[in-house]
Amino acid sequence: MPQTLRVIYSAFRLSMLHWIADPQWVIPNVIAPFVFTFVALTLFKEASASFGLYAVLGGGMMGMWGNTLYSSGFAIEFEKWQGTLEEVVAAPSNLLHVIAGRSVSNALFGLTNMVAILLIASLVFRVPLGIANPILFALSMVLTLLSVSALGLIFASSFVLTRSANVLTNGLEFPIYVVSGSMFPIALLPLWTHPASYILGPTWGIEAIRTAAGQANVSLTFWMDVGVMLLITLAYVAIAAFLFKKVETKSRRDGTLVEA
Amino acid sequence: MLELSSQREQASSEKAIVAEHLCKVFNTTKGFLRRKKTQVVAVKDVSFEVDYGELFGLVGPNGAGKTTTIKLLTTMLIPTSGKATVLGYNVEKDVTKVRERIGIVLGGERGLYTRVTAIDNMRYFADLYGVPVSIRDKRIKELLQFMGLWDRAKDRVETYSKGMKQRLHVARGLINDPKLIFMDEPTIGLDPEIAKETRNMIRELVEKGKTILLTTHYMFEADELCKRVGVIRNGDIVALDTPSGLKKYVMDTSVVEIEGFGITEKEVARFKEVHEVLAVSADLSENKQVLKIQTPKGSEIISEVQEILKNSRIYDLKIKEPTLEDAYLRLVEGSVKEGSAR
Repeated sequence: MPQTLRVIYSAFRLSMLHWIADPQWVIPNVIAPFVFTFVALTLFKEASASFGLYAVLGGGMMGMWGNTLYSSGFAIEFEKWQGTLEEVVAAPSNLLHVIAGRSVSNALFGLTNMVAILLIASLVFRVPLGIANPILFALSMVLTLLSVSALGLIFASSFVLTRSANVLTNGLEFPIYVVSGSMFPIALLPLWTHPASYILGPTWGIEAIRTAAGQANVSLTFWMDVGVMLLITLAYVAIAAFLFKKVETKSRRDGTLVEA
Repeated sequence: MLELSSQREQASSEKAIVAEHLCKVFNTTKGFLRRKKTQVVAVKDVSFEVDYGELFGLVGPNGAGKTTTIKLLTTMLIPTSGKATVLGYNVEKDVTKVRERIGIVLGGERGLYTRVTAIDNMRYFADLYGVPVSIRDKRIKELLQFMGLWDRAKDRVETYSKGMKQRLHVARGLINDPKLIFMDEPTIGLDPEIAKETRNMIRELVEKGKTILLTTHYMFEADELCKRVGVIRNGDIVALDTPSGLKKYVMDTSVVEIEGFGITEKEVARFKEVHEVLAVSADLSENKQVLKIQTPKGSEIISEVQEILKNSRIYDLKIKEPTLEDAYLRLVEGSVKEGSAR
């Protein structure tokens, strides 16, 4: 296994071990989605069955994004709390790869949020949730997860510079729910917000997920959504790599990453 | 038994560490509307060299610049000025090459993933250091056996004692079989028995050919372990010599050691004003207080001691030969001229 993948996998594995060792994630990933689903389905109980699916998938997406944004942003803070940041920084591997492994792991746990919402909606609230194309649904879900992880990486780089970066992540949580179309279709938003929607990978991801959930034979639009999301994801990775290199050098100069 | 590679073959440079006029200044800003910029000089001018296979000690009070020096040498910080090479590589430019070849052991209970097992901690760092997968598990087992942790290797680290955590720190610092190990206060907070074990283990590593740079607060530890010791004060190396060489700086003095009760800070301060008292240290925290006074006057100072401590109880008074700790005390208090101490 190439060293880069080995580091990403190892960071992913360690992060998963921590999730398992510390089951408090059950609260945000199961209980909170239950409340969200209950509220969404109560509000839209008169709407059509397809709207129920729309709301449920949107809620799941919000959970995944919220989890990733919070946890990936805090990946650096986590190391600081453990007192392990200095040892990790002093290792020869790229810090970006370490945080990438953590980010993927966080997004995967965010995915449990979506699964919880789907199960709660289906089993408790009896919302018909037939997935028309399960394979493409799963594919678009995994790719969206990677896209969300890559976006999380960009935010993680800001934490290398300053611990006040949580203001940034907290402040961006809800705007991204709105402009990515998780809450309602972006067509309902003012035109000037559309550029912000289109540069977000999750916007295209949620569109692809909804298409695969509703259509057995997907059109070319589905593949375009997936393709654009992949391109945006690659751009996120490139931006994150650039930012990490810059902020790492700056933090070695300013002493913001390690305590002296 | 632990199989670490022989380190003697390394010869890419003549010295394991060369630090030349290292300086690190931190700029900080305070306030929101009226931003006030301040500069903190953590390391002013640090120069020293360490030979291959040497155990070099860096001692100094809190905030003297020991840890910053280590962080500059381990590439975690970039020097403001000056330069340093580690194993022949520039710490500013050859970051990855330096990191691959060194080990870092930071003291204290933190710095470990406590919710997972020792094996998981070791495996993670083996992967970060690119230890070949074919030897990874074997090396982890050998290191944990060497540190006496193998029987508890599958337990969560949060269940470990302080001493066990410190041994795990050391094991992790050796995961990449480093040629040079930086140890930042490895015995801090350990009980005497575990600290002794740790010192024995450090000696064993040097016998295996490792080069070690050790920082410590404990002078007896530096005296016992180190071939040479650098004393750092206010970001500057004020003395660099062998332990016996450093003791020579205070050979012109005696140490008057007083054990008593009821000694106050005010009385200690009065000793500092007495002519020809070069340094004073006091441990007033316990019931049995200890006061040490360095002076060239020796027993001639006794009458002054009795006068100052007339309201306190004196249990014992001894005139002693100075130790490395006394030399250190004088060096950090600044009563040895910096130039003469180098």
